[in-house]
Amino acid sequence: MNIDLLFKIAGIGILVAVLHQVLTKAGREDQAMMTTLAGIVIVLTVVVKEISTLFETVRTVFNL
Amino acid sequence: MDILKIIGIGFLTLIVSIILKEYKKEYAIYCVLIGGAIIIFFSLETINSIIKFIKEFSLKYNNGFIEVLLKITGISILTEYAVSICKDSGESSIANKIDFGGKIIVISMSIPIISNTLSSLTQLLP
Repeated sequence: MNIDLLFKIAGIGILVAVLHQVLTKAGREDQAMMTTLAGIVIVLTVVVKEISTLFETVRTVFNL
Repeated sequence: MDILKIIGIGFLTLIVSIILKEYKKEYAIYCVLIGGAIIIFFSLETINSIIKFIKEFSLKYNNGFIEVLLKITGISILTEYAVSICKDSGESSIANKIDFGGKIIVISMSIPIISNTLSSLTQLLP
């Protein structure tokens, strides 16, 4: 739960955007869609893990 | 956790989300989620010490009110986190639903307090 997580997500986002552009220009729309989906899945797993740790911490702090 | 760290993380998240909005809309939401989570996570330590102090302070009145109050603050922190992110991304209807659910839970948790105070009030009246 530190700040370089933010940079990781930003990096993945920009990489996927660039890959999408390159692949669409190269005429491979389906692979472009695949890379976008893969990027979304990776980032989603990271984000969901972080949000669940946050909720767990809040739960223990306020013993909800 | 000093305020400069919080402001720094906030501005960083802002800049990164603006950049990401340019290329891919959905990644901006992810990075706003992570930035909010980091800030709340860091401020939880100070909240922890505040709660310890409140718990020691409230040992005299050993009834459940303090527990319910802490629970309600926890719930409001989480609902506030979710509502502001949903509003930020333009989905104010989802934000209202989350707010509505949070209010219902808070009211349902405060029923014992209300009934307790009402009963003590009726005893006071002639």
